[in-house]
Amino acid sequence: MSHPRISAFAGRANGNAKPVRVIEGQSTRFARTTHDLALDTIHDEIVAPNSFAEAILFFRGGASGEEKPIRIIQGPDTLLRNPDNVAVDAVHNEVFVASREGAVFVYPREANGNVAPIRILQGPQTKIRQANRVAIDSENDLMFVTTRFGSVLTFPRAAQGDTAPTAVISGPKTLLSDEHAPYRVAVYPEGKRIFVGVGGSHPLSGAVGGFVAVWKYGDNGDVPPWALIPSTPLTGLNHPFGGVALNPKAKEIMVLENSQPPGLLVFRVPELF
Amino acid sequence: MYTPVHCNANEEVGSDEMKRNSLVSLMGPVLLALAWLAVNQFPAATAQGPKESDRQTLVLNRAPVRVIRDQYSSFNGITMDEERREVYIADDNHSKILVYDAEFPPTDRVIEPRRQIAGPQTHLGYICTLAISPEDQEIFTVDNDWKDNMTVFPIDAKGNVAPLRELNVDHGAWGIFLDRKHNELFITIEHAHKISVYSKKAQGKEEPARFIQGPETGLADPHGIYVDPESNEIFVTNHGHWRKTEVGDKGVIVSFRRPTPSDSIKEFPASTGKFLPPSITVYARDAQGDAKPLRTISGPATRMNLPLGIYEVSGSRLLAVANAGDSSILFFDRSASGNTAPVRVIQGPATGIEGPSGVYVDSKRNELWVTNWNSHTATIYPSNASGNVAPKRVLRSAPKGAPVTGFGNPGGIVYDAKRDEMLVPN
Repeated sequence: MSHPRISAFAGRANGNAKPVRVIEGQSTRFARTTHDLALDTIHDEIVAPNSFAEAILFFRGGASGEEKPIRIIQGPDTLLRNPDNVAVDAVHNEVFVASREGAVFVYPREANGNVAPIRILQGPQTKIRQANRVAIDSENDLMFVTTRFGSVLTFPRAAQGDTAPTAVISGPKTLLSDEHAPYRVAVYPEGKRIFVGVGGSHPLSGAVGGFVAVWKYGDNGDVPPWALIPSTPLTGLNHPFGGVALNPKAKEIMVLENSQPPGLLVFRVPELF
Repeated sequence: MYTPVHCNANEEVGSDEMKRNSLVSLMGPVLLALAWLAVNQFPAATAQGPKESDRQTLVLNRAPVRVIRDQYSSFNGITMDEERREVYIADDNHSKILVYDAEFPPTDRVIEPRRQIAGPQTHLGYICTLAISPEDQEIFTVDNDWKDNMTVFPIDAKGNVAPLRELNVDHGAWGIFLDRKHNELFITIEHAHKISVYSKKAQGKEEPARFIQGPETGLADPHGIYVDPESNEIFVTNHGHWRKTEVGDKGVIVSFRRPTPSDSIKEFPASTGKFLPPSITVYARDAQGDAKPLRTISGPATRMNLPLGIYEVSGSRLLAVANAGDSSILFFDRSASGNTAPVRVIQGPATGIEGPSGVYVDSKRNELWVTNWNSHTATIYPSNASGNVAPKRVLRSAPKGAPVTGFGNPGGIVYDAKRDEMLVPN
């Protein structure tokens, strides 16, 4: 809990594995409470939020050690308030931050310093309220937002202002709720699927049994997940707060399990790709 | 009716629909058993609905093919009862308080704790630091995430025991110090840039007797704390990640206890975040509110780099600081101010210091203990050690050279296909 860092593990790492590289130290300007990362595969950059200093940090994709960010978005005009998440659209050169204040802020990807958002998505029509995470599918021009109150919202990628979502996944059949809130969302554009890490066993919420849920693009309303990795002794899932990442080539999904001791679990799920 | 379809195999099949239909027909007994599981685990999903909501969920109840997890204890904060000859170490990886003998012969082997406090009854979570009251025979610890509590145990507690008492604290507590002269507990709060002061016996939802917080305080992602009851001063290490906080701000990142925000159109205030250099800020012991520090130790000459634990070097005017970012221990005079170089430094490959979290100086045995979060070790030196000095002894929670995964409470994950790497932030 005491050591802010980004650890990179080999794709086939297993067991008591040591990271192949670590980005850490004062000069990285990296802090605790970093609840998300984004990867810009076109420009080979890692993007990370700093919640305490209200900043978005950009690193070289191969950064290691106490390496400084190559750009920082920070300053009064950014309107950033405790940002703990980030998404990048490398195709359209934009960076997205979901706000707990109920908004999504969008910045130019190459922005540096005190830069105002180029778009803000916010208002009663959006149904965003307390946003948890945001993900972008630049191929299908879509934006997905998870909220603290148990919903997954779909918007056009460039939505702004008080725009209603095109789809709202919410309701008892979705298995989402205040207690089972959706956190990190990852998208699979080729198969048009949405992967969501759903929290559980938070001591303050009293809920148990978080899981990974998968929906199809276009799912709308009180729709059960298309697929689910449940919380069972076999899966080892309990509180996958850290969310999911995808490796479609290997037909694997990676899930962070935040029970103690925390772990990184890799599931082979060819059915989902 | 919603019926989950369960799949345990990793077989590759044709289309999605073919695959799911074949699974339904082939997995009779397994399906029934797992359907019971799913229905009981997710009873709401059995409700009736229109066509889309009649979907059969593909339930993939299978073991992961790989799991990265550190099976060994991570050593975080440290304290000691010198008379009992006991060392107490916070293990944030496994949510344990580990108790070791303060005296042991040099060895390369793993040393088992005398006893440990661990289990669901303890309400221990991501614990960071510890304090003890020899007078009351009690041990205190704070949780940095999720549980938002301070727990208190009998000093000889063992196993899965409930705390004697528990106190709600703000989200992001890291440092704890018991001022035994004035019977007050000082707790730093990372997320709210705050020092909360409680009576030693505080419990439940008791509010702090006073707190230091606000834009003038210079508190910026505070961590370690030491209170000098003689000079009546508080010393706090800061990582320097700053945003403006108002007096009474509990840290807006915390959503679990926050009211639902309005969804009306709103104007967003200007962002206030900025990076300050790492520092040690010093306050009057009885300071409260938006109090300016009496002095600040900060600047490149200090060599501070993500400073964590801080503790007195008994019999001297020095304070030892665990400098996590460059794996060193820095010693500063208590009256230092500004851009002041440390009086001495322990650092180098011979020291075995790797990502230090905690420091404690055992005045009875004249030893400096350092907990190393990056190596499953505590390393022990003469209290006047300096330079690239080898430890007298090493306390290990894992076999020598065992890899350290370095997970804190990991908050996200991305996959880098170009490098075939999984990236995880703490």
